[in-house]
Amino acid sequence: MSESDTQSPCVFLVDDDDSIRASLSRALSLRGYDVKTFGSASEFLEVGKDASGCLLLDYGMPDMNGLELQKHLKKLGAKVPIIFITGHGGIPESVEAMKMGAVDFLEKPFKQSILIERIDAALEIDKKRRKISEQSSEAMTRFQRLTEREREIATILTTKTGENSSKEIARRLGISPRTVDHHRARILEKMQVGSVAELVETGIRAGLF
Amino acid sequence: MKSLGVILALALAGLQLFAVAVVVFSSFLTSERALLEHARLQLFDVGTNVIQHTRWFMSPARSATELSTALATNEIVRREERDHLEGLLFQQLRSAPQFAGAYYGDEDGNFVYVKRDGDQQYLTKIVDTRADAAQRTLFINRGDDFSNDGQYFDPEDRYDPRARPWYIEAKDVRGSIWTDPYIFFTSQSPGITAATPVIGLRSHVQGVVGVDIEIKALSSFLSELSVGKNGAAVILNRNGDVIAHPNPELLTTETEEGGLRFPSVYDIADPIVKAAFGDRLREDEVSVDSIVQSNFRHMDQDYVSLIMPFGLDDIPWTIVLYAPENDFIGAIIDNRRQNAAIAVAVVLTTALLGLALANRIHEPVRAFAVRSSLISQGEVDPNEPMPRTYKELEHANTTLVNEIAQRRKSEREYRLTFENASRAMAHIECATGKLLRVNKSFCELLGFGTQELDDVTFQSLMDPSERETVGEFESKISGTSAFGFETKVIDKKNAPVWISFNGVFVQPSDQGSMYLVATIDDITQAHVSEEKIETLNRELARFSRHEMLDELATGLAHELNQPLTAITQNVDAAQSTIRTSPENVDALQEVLGAIEQQAHQASDIIKALRALVRKDTNMMTAFELRELLDQARRLVRPDARQHSVEIINTKGPELHVRAMRVQIAQVVVNLLRNAIEAIAEDGSARRIVRMSAEESGDFVLVCVEDTGPGIKDGVELFTPFETTKRDGMGMGLVISRSIIKANGGEMWYDGSKTSARFCFTLTLERQL
Repeated sequence: MSESDTQSPCVFLVDDDDSIRASLSRALSLRGYDVKTFGSASEFLEVGKDASGCLLLDYGMPDMNGLELQKHLKKLGAKVPIIFITGHGGIPESVEAMKMGAVDFLEKPFKQSILIERIDAALEIDKKRRKISEQSSEAMTRFQRLTEREREIATILTTKTGENSSKEIARRLGISPRTVDHHRARILEKMQVGSVAELVETGIRAGLF
Repeated sequence: MKSLGVILALALAGLQLFAVAVVVFSSFLTSERALLEHARLQLFDVGTNVIQHTRWFMSPARSATELSTALATNEIVRREERDHLEGLLFQQLRSAPQFAGAYYGDEDGNFVYVKRDGDQQYLTKIVDTRADAAQRTLFINRGDDFSNDGQYFDPEDRYDPRARPWYIEAKDVRGSIWTDPYIFFTSQSPGITAATPVIGLRSHVQGVVGVDIEIKALSSFLSELSVGKNGAAVILNRNGDVIAHPNPELLTTETEEGGLRFPSVYDIADPIVKAAFGDRLREDEVSVDSIVQSNFRHMDQDYVSLIMPFGLDDIPWTIVLYAPENDFIGAIIDNRRQNAAIAVAVVLTTALLGLALANRIHEPVRAFAVRSSLISQGEVDPNEPMPRTYKELEHANTTLVNEIAQRRKSEREYRLTFENASRAMAHIECATGKLLRVNKSFCELLGFGTQELDDVTFQSLMDPSERETVGEFESKISGTSAFGFETKVIDKKNAPVWISFNGVFVQPSDQGSMYLVATIDDITQAHVSEEKIETLNRELARFSRHEMLDELATGLAHELNQPLTAITQNVDAAQSTIRTSPENVDALQEVLGAIEQQAHQASDIIKALRALVRKDTNMMTAFELRELLDQARRLVRPDARQHSVEIINTKGPELHVRAMRVQIAQVVVNLLRNAIEAIAEDGSARRIVRMSAEESGDFVLVCVEDTGPGIKDGVELFTPFETTKRDGMGMGLVISRSIIKANGGEMWYDGSKTSARFCFTLTLERQL
């Protein structure tokens, strides 16, 4: 599967049952989803790291079951939202799956409307996740462009929100408040934010500090 | 069994007889054959000698005639000059003593003849056809020096040489001839004439020269020959006339007309010659082409004979030689008789010696045998010293003594064991089933006193309602192989007692009839418990199935969700298609086909469940096993999926078995679930359960193998309440095994592999 395939959002389906794979992919395709199917957990592992979209994952499978696949994906840092589908969903299993970050746990057979709703929701989550991730990587790029002094001051601005007036910073760094003001303006300009509050938000979201 | 003494005597004498007989007989045979061969050779030598001699004897006559003829032909001697001719003939006559006369006759009938006339006296006869009749025939007496001792005419003589046989024959043949032998009239001696024609120019026969030879000398020669000690040789003319014989007297016989002739071999007064020639007597031509050997018997005596041709073309004679065999092998035969007598004597002596020796050898053995039998009858103490005997027998005696001591000991022990055994024991006569001997425990078991069981048969103690068992017992005791069975007997108080009966056949060494040693255990208690256990097991089996069904049903309900999900999805797909492109009938049909298939899948799951829920009819039926295995797999699949276990059902041809289907399904499901649980609890990396079924003789072998950790040593599988499971009762395998047994099969754990493998068998139902 090529890079672009996993990059564009689509519905991944992992189920060992041929008839389930065939029928689900057919129904979802007809509803306009881009569906990719996998007969086993290990098959999906090969491409799953960068998958974007959502994953319909059968719980009970030979070799590696759904929960194990979920753990593996988490270890790899894959963030694709997972909807578990199961023929015999026990409460303990569903709890564990949700703890691990599954977005949903559907018991077979499910109403199509519910499935579609959950898929759409998951795709939306993924979309947001991707957007955030894009944004944070942009923020990171910008942050890299700051000078060392500017980064130092930006860090103080965002992490020590209680004592981030120019005076306090100037005293801490042993420079004049005017210089701090000057740096602060340059930081806001370079990071393309309008206020210190916005800078803090961006910084936290991008995990800069 | 033969006595050692007899065998020894017979063997010693027999071996001697055989050896002597072989030596005597073979030496006799070979020497006799060699000597007879030698006899024939000797006869042959004599025959050759006779032929050489005869040739030497006869050839001068021919030389003489031929010389005379040559002289006459070349006119060295002029035939017209009778004196001259007479001189020539006289010379010839004198040159060889065997010549009786020499003569010449010519075509005109003239004849000159000189012959011996007593010692050193000669007589000439001259026939002159030109002279007067009165002076036609002139006789002249001549001395040894050809002197004229007086002469006279014989006017009566009408001799004409041209009419004589020698003249006619020589003229006809136009060459030298021999006449047949004949008896000279004057000398009454046997003779023969050699004649040669004188052939002039233009091949004209002018006359014939003849020489008479007396062959009496041949007979004399024959008489001087030594042919063996008592043998002889005779010469036959081609017509069978005997022309030379060791006894010349026999050579002339009178013809009916009063003449003289040779006797034929058919009527010669020599019976041996007749017999020797006997086998050729009936033939017209008596001459032979080659040497004929034969044996004949005359006057109780065996002869060897040889008939040889002369091998001279112009003398068609045959020589017959014979000699009694005794001349050659007489000594051998005497020797043979002597040898036979010696052999008989040797054999008799050896036989007597053999008997004596055998007796001597045998005596200690016999004494030992008597002693042994006395010891075994208890009349002699085995520890008493033995009489002097052989070392081997001493060893045997020691062994015997030990053996007897051992036997007495074991007999005593056996008696004690038998009498005091805590188990009931009995000796039962095989032919009748009668109790020969019973022990205390036996009496106690049935509440009888020992005497009460005299003349009682075992069958009469058995429960009469168990007729089949009684029949089985009777057929078993007429066999020979040990057997055991369980049955019900009735004790003195008429209460039933369940017993286990084990019988071993014993054939007493003293020719007594065969009996059965029976060991009998009271199993009444065990029997009752067994019945109880069986009932309990049946109950448990049913209970366990119900319990299992409960669990399975939950799982299966979920399993049904698979096809149902597929169906809902396909329905959704169909709806989408109708909404967006209703004209796409092919797509719709495909979806509907899939829906149908999934609906059937769902129904299969329900069928499998129903097969297990079906009422337990306790009826054995024939069914296809692989289908059942597949259904069982389906039943446990939810479980398997849950634990990521793959169940492989090995493919193969259909296998029909006869059993209670529901029960077998229960066993298979139980094994599969055990396997899945074992894998799940172990957390194995390989998670596979493999089911296989194959034909094996009259059975089908079913195995369930998993990749789990296997069973640790020391765990008593198939024992109630033994379990390796965290929350197991330990009843599953016990129940499974009793189910398989009830269905006529066996179930076991195959520990040969590292993983766990359970197998069971079912009766194969052959498809016709």
